[in-house]
Amino acid sequence: MNTQKHKILPVMMAPRPRPDDRFHLQPWHGLVLVAVCIIATIPAAFAATDPERASILEVLTRWMPLMLKGFIFNIVISVLAMAVGTISGAALGLGQISLNPFVRKFAWFVTQFFRNAPWLVLLFFAMFLLPFEFKIFGLTIPLPDWLKAIFGLSLPVMANVSEIVRGAVQSLPSGQWEAAESLAFSRNQVLWRIILPQCVKRMLPPWMNLYSILTMATVLASIVGVSEVMTLTGQILAAEGGRSDLLIPMYSFVLFLFFIYCYPIARWTVRLEKKFAVIT
Amino acid sequence: MFTTMTKRMAMAAAMGALALTALPAQADVIDDIKARGTLRVAVKADYKPYGFRDTSGAIIGIEPDLAQDVADKLGVSIEFIPVVSSNRMQFLQQGKVDLLIATMTDKPDRRKVVFIADPNYYSSGTNIMTPKSFGFTAWEDLRGKPVCGIQGAFYNKKTGREFGAKIVAFKGTAEVYAAMKAGNCVAFVYDDSSHVATLEQDEWADYEMPLPTIDDAPWGLAVALGEDRFHDMMGEMIIGWHKSGRILELETKWGVANTPFAQDMHDKYK
Repeated sequence: MNTQKHKILPVMMAPRPRPDDRFHLQPWHGLVLVAVCIIATIPAAFAATDPERASILEVLTRWMPLMLKGFIFNIVISVLAMAVGTISGAALGLGQISLNPFVRKFAWFVTQFFRNAPWLVLLFFAMFLLPFEFKIFGLTIPLPDWLKAIFGLSLPVMANVSEIVRGAVQSLPSGQWEAAESLAFSRNQVLWRIILPQCVKRMLPPWMNLYSILTMATVLASIVGVSEVMTLTGQILAAEGGRSDLLIPMYSFVLFLFFIYCYPIARWTVRLEKKFAVIT
Repeated sequence: MFTTMTKRMAMAAAMGALALTALPAQADVIDDIKARGTLRVAVKADYKPYGFRDTSGAIIGIEPDLAQDVADKLGVSIEFIPVVSSNRMQFLQQGKVDLLIATMTDKPDRRKVVFIADPNYYSSGTNIMTPKSFGFTAWEDLRGKPVCGIQGAFYNKKTGREFGAKIVAFKGTAEVYAAMKAGNCVAFVYDDSSHVATLEQDEWADYEMPLPTIDDAPWGLAVALGEDRFHDMMGEMIIGWHKSGRILELETKWGVANTPFAQDMHDKYK
C-alpha cells in the first residue's frame, strides 16, 4: 500500500491518521445535498405555476427561524439525555465489574434490560408513567414533556454507556491489574488511578458514536408530542395549507440540519479512533 | 378496635402517598388560574384556520382568539398548549390544561370524561375530500376503499363500520395531504369546515366535497369534571360570543365563509 521507502521501521513511526474516506466528505457537502433536493422539486413547483403562491425558497426562509429553534431544542434534549445517561451509565458499568456478585448481577440485568428495549417504547413508558407535576413538601415541581423525553431517552443511553465502560475496562491487558496489585495499590486505587484513565481513550469514540445516534433519535420525541423540529415541521406544513410540493424540501431541510450537526462528530470520532488505535 | 385503627392508619398512609404523587390542587380551578396568573388552554396547532402556527411559532387562529377572550375576562395571561385529537382529553383530565378549545365534537361519551360547556360554540359535520375524477356520490361508494383519517377522530370508526371503508389513520393533516397526493387513499374523511377551507386553495382545485354532510355535530369546549364555576362562566361566555356575533366576526377575520350554525346561534341569542 505504502511504497515509500522508510529509513526507520514503520512500527517505530508516530501513528498518523490515514484518510480512508475516499469521498473526503466535508460539512459543506450537506449544503450541496440539500440544494440538490430543492432543485429536484423545482420542476414540480413550476408544473402548477401560480403567481400568488409563495415559492418553496420563500416558504423555507420564512419558516427557517422556527425550524432552527426546534432543532436547537433537539440538541438540548440530546445533550441533557447524554449527560444523565453517561453519569448513570458509568455507575452502572462500574457495577458490572464489581466484586460483589449481587451488585454485578443486578447491574448486568439492568444494562441488558434497557439495552435490548426499543428506544421508542422506553420513551412511551417515561411519557405515560411519570406525572406531569409532582408535589414534595408543598412544593409543586412541574415535569414538562421535554423533561420526560430526556429521561426516557437517557435510559437506553445509560445501558449503552454501561456496556462501553465494562468493555473498556475488560479490554485492558490483565497485566495492568497484576502489576498495580503487586505495587500494593488497593482495588479502588487500581481502578481510579490506573485502569480508568487508560479506559477514557478507549471509551471516547464509542461514546461519541452513541451521542450521534442519540441526536438522531431525538426526533422520536415528536411521536409523544414534544414540540421539536419534526412536530414543528408537520405543523408548518399544515399552516401552509397542506401544499404537498413543500413536503420534500421541508423534510430535506430537517435532514440537512441533522447531517451538518452529526457528520463532523462522526469524522472526529474516526480521527480519534485512528489516533488511539496504535497506542495502548 | 385495633383493626379499625390499623385500617385507618393504612388509609391515611395511602391518602398521604396519593397526595404526594400527582394530584392537582383541590381548590377551584378559577382560583388556581388567578393565583398562577396564566390560563393554560389546549388548542390545535395543525388545523388551519382554527388553530395553527405563525412564522414566529405562536399559535393563532379562531380558537386561540376565543381563548384570549377568556383570559382577558379573567385578567390573566395565556399559554397555549398544542394538542392532537388523541391526547386532548387526557391533558384536561391530568390537569395539564385548564380549558380545552380544540375542535372537539360534542359526543355523549366524551361528556362523561370532560365537562363540556353549553351551549356549543361551533359546529361542523363529517364529509370527505376526494379527487373529482372518482365521482363518488354516496357514502356507500367508499366500501372496501382506503380512506385517510386523523388518529383519534370519532368518525373514523363510523366510516369504517357503517360504510365499509378501510381507514388509514395519520397523525396530522400534513401527512394526510401528502398521502392523498401520493394516491395512498381515495378520500380524506374529516370535518367539513376543514375541507371548505382547504378546497378554496388552487392546490386542491381538482378535488371536491361530493357527499351529503353527515353527523352535523356541534363542537364543545370543555373544562375538567367537577369545575362547576368555570363551566358556568364558560357557558355565559359562549352566549356572549353568539350574542355579539364574535364567532361570525372571527370567521370573517380568518377567511372562513360564515357557517349556518354560527349565523343561527347569533340570530337566536341576538
